[in-house]
Amino acid sequence: MGALAIKNVTKRFGDTHILKGIDIHVDSGEFLILVGPSGCGKSTLMNIIAGLESPSGGEVHIADRIVNDVAPKDRDIAMVFQSYALYPTMNVRQNIAFGLETRGVPKKEQDEVIARVAKMLQMDHLLDRKPGQLSGGQRQRVAMGRALARNPKLFLFDEPLSNLDAKLRVEMRTEIKQLHHRLKTTIVYVTHDQIEAMTLGDKIAVMKDGVIQQFGSPQQIYDTPANLFVAGFIGSPSMNFIPAHLASEGGVIGVSLQSGDAACFAPLLDSQRYAAYVGKRVIVGVRPEQWDLAADGGGLACKINLTEPTGPDTIVFTQINGIEVQARLHPRDARSPGSVLHLRPDMSKAVLFDPETEIRIG
Amino acid sequence: MSVTSRPAHYGFAEHWLPRLVLAPSFLLVLVFLYGFIAWNGALSFTASRLLPNYEWVGLAQYEALFASERWWVAVHNLFIFGVLFIGGAMAVGIVLAILLDQKIRLEGALRTIYLYPLALSFIVTGTAWGWMLNPGLGLEKLMHDWGYAGFSFDWLVNPDRSIYTIVIAGIWQSSGFVMALFLAGLRGIDDSIIKAAQIDGASLPRIYWRIILPAMRPVFFSTLMILAHIAIKSFDLVMALTGGGPGFSSDLPATFMYQMAFTRGQMGLGAASAMMMLVTVSAVVVPYLYSELRRSRHV
Ligand SMILES: Nc1ncnc2c1ncn2[C@@H]1O[C@H](COP(=O)(O)OP(=O)(O)OP(=O)(O)O)[C@@H](O)[C@H]1O
Ligand SMILES: [Mg+2]
Repeated sequence: MGALAIKNVTKRFGDTHILKGIDIHVDSGEFLILVGPSGCGKSTLMNIIAGLESPSGGEVHIADRIVNDVAPKDRDIAMVFQSYALYPTMNVRQNIAFGLETRGVPKKEQDEVIARVAKMLQMDHLLDRKPGQLSGGQRQRVAMGRALARNPKLFLFDEPLSNLDAKLRVEMRTEIKQLHHRLKTTIVYVTHDQIEAMTLGDKIAVMKDGVIQQFGSPQQIYDTPANLFVAGFIGSPSMNFIPAHLASEGGVIGVSLQSGDAACFAPLLDSQRYAAYVGKRVIVGVRPEQWDLAADGGGLACKINLTEPTGPDTIVFTQINGIEVQARLHPRDARSPGSVLHLRPDMSKAVLFDPETEIRIG
Repeated sequence: MSVTSRPAHYGFAEHWLPRLVLAPSFLLVLVFLYGFIAWNGALSFTASRLLPNYEWVGLAQYEALFASERWWVAVHNLFIFGVLFIGGAMAVGIVLAILLDQKIRLEGALRTIYLYPLALSFIVTGTAWGWMLNPGLGLEKLMHDWGYAGFSFDWLVNPDRSIYTIVIAGIWQSSGFVMALFLAGLRGIDDSIIKAAQIDGASLPRIYWRIILPAMRPVFFSTLMILAHIAIKSFDLVMALTGGGPGFSSDLPATFMYQMAFTRGQMGLGAASAMMMLVTVSAVVVPYLYSELRRSRHV
């Protein structure tokens, strides 16, 4: 069953087109991530789903019902805002109860709901405090509690963790994921943090300039990014984009890589699908972890410019085809700057892009 | 500590300079504010008439004051004026602020238009409204000229109604100011709070009533303070609009005091009424100052 379907939704503010034809389909119980850089229209899309803003064109369906003309309160949704949006003069209990009260839920039932939510989020001791007396993390919790008070068909989270410090953010991320496992409610979650996107989502929609660049599972988006933007946006450190000529050597299509005086030919897997591009310039995308140490002395002899130990891995910086390339190696394999390492890209995972259109080829 | 190692003359300048700079204004305030308050207090216990004299009569002036019908009319009027003026200016100002907060076009222009009356002195306001409400010149004459012969609006010259004309003019003058204060407060409310309440199912009036206006409490209190002290010391508006008349039906304590002290040669009585006003203002302002000062010390 479709929990949420967005069909060719557009949004204009005056003459500026903020959303340019968005199409998204989410099944019941799925966790959808909307990710993209600041200002790309994520909050606008979220507000359209919630009914706080009306689309200039297109349709929004919630639970297989078209809701374009349905008021926010009748859409059976709950939303958590980036700024938490707690009611400042009410204490936590009243904050949670407000929505229930507006809907005419009897007092006794309200108390039960508050007790359930407080237990679920471990905030019994906060119930009588005002928002001003809470820490950022506690406010975040209350905002979630307010959303959980009802059993909506759809949860909307607009960057709920972006105001928290790094440690708390990781904790709350895990908690949200557990919550989703427990409740199995459909969630739409906005973030501009690609790690949050990868760890939480069943589906990811990568947005830029009001257009969905790619919509798919986290693994799809990671392995086969649709274009240069998605490839660069998802993954940290980001994918290396190496400009190269596509050449055919003895019937095998591949790219030639050069580092300093050393050069090598890296053949591509299933290379016939790139046949049309032979002789042309392409961009080869190789993620930092897709480099291996060539123990046999093969591969490309690269001079190390810089190393960044992260603990589990060491990021090695070198120069290939005139651009800086990062390779993620086991600390045991890394060498100090100035020395030479023989690196070999895993061409079975490499992706190629057309430098003109920036779209993935093959 | 570095303070102890400073040269002595530096400490001297640092110690005395601020006091020296503040001394003239301090002296002026001491004499012309507190000195005259004290002098006025002293006069209220004397039998001063046209000019001050020091024939002590104890509380006789206060007894005369409390026996004076005109004083009680003034107090009663102040009560009517205070309640209606504060309530009216507050209500009109808040409604205007809420309407302007709906992100309408031409907001800047409208804000200026509503705020403009504040730029006029109460004398101008009073005179203009005096013309408009004058049955022979203003609204009533206009309606008659248009053919509505039965129309009558004679509040300005009706002793039972004259105080309400002052209320109308006062509200007109001050509600734009109240609006500006509240609009600034409303603009400080996070937009997503309103969105959250909409999703929670609250109607717009309910959102304002339950969430936004309660958050305006500090603005509410400052506005109340400002309006209350405008109400108590209201003088020029009455003088320009009704002159306290017809008869003394629209007198306020301030006009009563002025009449007694400066035109009717009852300076002792005027001084006593001034003391009563001082006590009233203090009753309003002192608790407010106290709570404000205490809060700023704790922050
Ligand atoms: N009411 C409005 N009128 C005009 N332009 C608007 C309005 N609301 C948003 N915009 C514009 O729409 C664009 C998208 O805004 P939106 O808030 O959706 O971005 P976002 O993707 O949520 O960004 P962020 O990650 O910073 O929250 C922005 O360029 C913004 O300036
Ligand atoms: Mg946003």
